[in-house]
Amino acid sequence: MKAGKVRGLDPTGPLGDNAERIVLARLDELCGFMPRAEDPAETAALHDMRIAAKRLRYILEITHPCFGPYAEAAIGPVKQLQEVLGDVHDCDEQLPEVRAFLDELVTADAAALACGAAALPHREAYEGLVALTADLLARRELRFAEFLELWRDLERKGFRPRLEYAVAERSGANGRATIGRP
Amino acid sequence: MAKAAEIAVAAEEPFAVAGARIVRARTQELFEHDDGVLDTVDIERVHDMRVATRRLRAVLEVFAPCFPKQAYKPALRDVKALADALGERRDPDVHLEAMRAFGGVEPLVERLRERQAAGNVALAAALEAAEASDLRGRLLALADAAEERVGA
Repeated sequence: MKAGKVRGLDPTGPLGDNAERIVLARLDELCGFMPRAEDPAETAALHDMRIAAKRLRYILEITHPCFGPYAEAAIGPVKQLQEVLGDVHDCDEQLPEVRAFLDELVTADAAALACGAAALPHREAYEGLVALTADLLARRELRFAEFLELWRDLERKGFRPRLEYAVAERSGANGRATIGRP
Repeated sequence: MAKAAEIAVAAEEPFAVAGARIVRARTQELFEHDDGVLDTVDIERVHDMRVATRRLRAVLEVFAPCFPKQAYKPALRDVKALADALGERRDPDVHLEAMRAFGGVEPLVERLRERQAAGNVALAAALEAAEASDLRGRLLALADAAEERVGA
C-alpha cells in the first residue's frame, strides 16, 4: 500500500507544523480501514492497516517531542496494533503455503499409489501438516480477536481525537506543551 | 530487536535540518547491522537489519520534499531493494521458527530451508549492489543536500 501524498509540506518550515500534517494524514489512513477490517476475511485490508499503523508509529517515534504528551503515549498502542496485525498476516501467509504443500504431497502420493506403490510415501507428514494448519487457524482467530479488542479499547479511550489534539500542541523548551496553532 | 536511537528534535527547527540529522542516524544504524547478516543460525541479525531498512525508508519518505528528486528516487529504490532482499530471507526464517514445535513437518521444513538458502544468495547480491553503488554515501549526500537547501 502506497502512502498518500501529504500536501503543503515545506522543507524550510518548522518540523512541528510539517510533522503535524504527516501525522494527521497517517492517522486518517489508519482509521480509514475501519470498519472494513472488522471483517476477518478482509485479509488485504488487515495487511494494509498494519502498514498504515507502522507508518504512523514511525512518524510518531521521530517527531513526538514536538507535540503534546499523548503523541508519545500513542506510540505503544500503535506498535501493539502493528504487531497483532503482523501476526494475523503471518498466519495468512503461512496457511495457504502449508495447505498447498499438503496438497502437493497428497497429489504425489495418489500418483505413487496409481503407479503401484504399496504405501503412501508421505503419510507420516500428513498429521504434522494438518496439526500445523489447525494451529495457524487457531492462532489467526485469537490474534484477530485481540486486534478487535485493542481497536475498540483505543476507540473507547479516544485515541483519534486525543492524538489530533496532541499534534496541534507544541512542546515548549520547558517541556510543557502549548497550543501552537489555532 | 535493536532499538532505534532517540534523536533529539525541536518543533521549531526547519523540517529539512531535522530530516538531514535523522537520515544520517538511520543510515548509520542500517550499515551497523550488515555484519554477520548472512548467518542463518542467528536469524535476529536479518530481522534487525530489516527493521533498520524500514526505519530508514520511513524517514526517507517522511522527509522526501527536502531532498533533490534525482538523487532521492534511486536511493529510495535501492533501500527498498535491500529491504525486499532482507524480507526474502526473513520470511522463511519466521516460518521455520513457527514450525519448530511440530513434528512430522520435515518435508516442509526442508522446502523452507531451500527458500532460506535462496534468500541468502539474493541478500548477498543486494548487499554487494548496495556497496558497489555506494548507497551509504548517496544517503549521506541526500542529508547534506537537505541541509544546504535551508542554508544550514
